[in-house]
Amino acid sequence: MSAVLKGLGGLALAAAVLYGMQRTTPGYGEITAPRPVAGKLGHRLEGRAFAIDIAKVQLARTVATKGAARDSNFTTSGVWVLVEGTAEARTESLTLLSAEWLGANGVRYAMSQRLSSLPGMLPGQRLEPGLPMPVLMAFEIPEGQVAGGTLLIARSAWAPLAEQARIEMAGAKPVDIRPCLVLARSQGRVPWTVSAE
Amino acid sequence: MSAEQRLTWRRRLFAFVVASVGAAAAAAISFAMTVYDAANPKPVPLAAPGQPIDTGRWTITFRDARTGSIPPTGIKPSTPKKLLMVEFDLDNRSASTSNAFLRLFTLEPPVPNLPPPAFYLARDRSVAGGLQPDMPERMIAAWEWPQAVPVPQQLRLKVTSQIHKRRDNLYGAPGWFDRDPAAVVTLAVGSGP
Repeated sequence: MSAVLKGLGGLALAAAVLYGMQRTTPGYGEITAPRPVAGKLGHRLEGRAFAIDIAKVQLARTVATKGAARDSNFTTSGVWVLVEGTAEARTESLTLLSAEWLGANGVRYAMSQRLSSLPGMLPGQRLEPGLPMPVLMAFEIPEGQVAGGTLLIARSAWAPLAEQARIEMAGAKPVDIRPCLVLARSQGRVPWTVSAE
Repeated sequence: MSAEQRLTWRRRLFAFVVASVGAAAAAAISFAMTVYDAANPKPVPLAAPGQPIDTGRWTITFRDARTGSIPPTGIKPSTPKKLLMVEFDLDNRSASTSNAFLRLFTLEPPVPNLPPPAFYLARDRSVAGGLQPDMPERMIAAWEWPQAVPVPQQLRLKVTSQIHKRRDNLYGAPGWFDRDPAAVVTLAVGSGP
């Protein structure tokens, strides 16, 4: 009798251990997740491969661009988020191809490809060590995702175990949404200007 | 061989036979079910134009189909082209920006040697990139139709579906995986500019 009980107990224990292991094993996505480096809006974030300083966030319902050939007006069903900052490589030349807005509910919004041809956009800026470059990012997000957002910046969208800057965007508030922002080319060190109409 | 030894051999043989019969039955039933499912495919549900179709990763609502010679960008092509355009509303229901809508629907039956369609954003008459989650957009798919082939009066589109797996069977990585078609839509083809 006690042998049967022992056997059953062993079986139950093995099942419990296996179930626990199955539930707690990290998935491939978690094992190969990027290494986060935390930072804040307005503070320089020093990573191992690159440094980035997000200086300003502006929100707008529409973005008007003044180009060399034609002017365009970009509407959205949500909100435009224009992020300005400075980025710099640390040890070797690189390009930061991926920037995402992580909303408060965990949804990730990649940079809008509708404004990707403008000068100064982050994926188009080649960063050199010791030479800080002005960078611009544009996102389209629903209004409810503005508050509590985090900016995720990495060398590429899928980069297992690579460095990822996570910048808390505590300064962005839905009350600051302007009706229109004008994005124009500029000849100075910063190749764009953002102005409210 | 003693009587006791013979008994244990018998027992072993009995267990072996039971296990073999069970395994063979399981394999046969599974194979028969697969064959039956393949022989009797489930009918794909029909959806009407204007009716939202839930494909798992996307919600798509077809609006209309038309032929034309000017692409949705409004720029007249240098050589005359016959375009077949389908207008639809699309909502990304996944948790990240995606351009996987490029393979969301196909012509049924397929037209041989037809290049894949180009996708345009109706909002600014431009080529569509990745669609943001939870931000529905009106879009237009445009096929460059061969001049020699007549455009059908009724366009049948098969919409695929995908499910999200937290862990796939190969790497244990999260991802989207194809499933059975979600719906078939028939659109009347009008003519536009």
